[in-house]
Amino acid sequence: MRIFGEILLTLGLAFLWVGGLGMVRFRSPYVRLQVAGVADIGGAALFLLGLILREGWAATGGLTIVLLLFLLFTGPLATHAVAKSAFVRKIRD
Amino acid sequence: MSLLMEVLLGLSAIPPFLVIWRGPSLWDRVCGASSLTVRLALVLAAHAAFSGHGILLDVALSYAVLGFLGTVLVARFGERGER
Repeated sequence: MRIFGEILLTLGLAFLWVGGLGMVRFRSPYVRLQVAGVADIGGAALFLLGLILREGWAATGGLTIVLLLFLLFTGPLATHAVAKSAFVRKIRD
Repeated sequence: MSLLMEVLLGLSAIPPFLVIWRGPSLWDRVCGASSLTVRLALVLAAHAAFSGHGILLDVALSYAVLGFLGTVLVARFGERGER
């Protein structure tokens, strides 16, 4: 179970690093929002699941699950709010 | 191994700093701030799990809530109003 958790932690770190690279490389606000939203949610979910699997349920507790669910629910909301704000102001690519 | 993962996770907060620093428009900066909040909350959660200080998970959850509220606040302000 520990090695499986470490694999998930490494996958989450890879998602976060690829998302950061995409945020720096792209120029349009919409492309940046899409890259940051998808990579952050995927990386955060994989990393927190890896933390739970590696350290065990007793060490991290249920608060890690709460943080994971909160990030899963509010990440798309924040991305949609920023994208709608840019769309209403008629920002081109 | 756990220290290396914490350092790599902390260093992955540098690209959102770059986006906030040189983003040409308001929405680039808000996107960078949202991503930065998620990554710093992950750093706090990782340190709480690796070192055993469970109180840091409460801090991470509060920081994630405040970051989400700030992102939505600035986005709604940017819909109408001055740049």
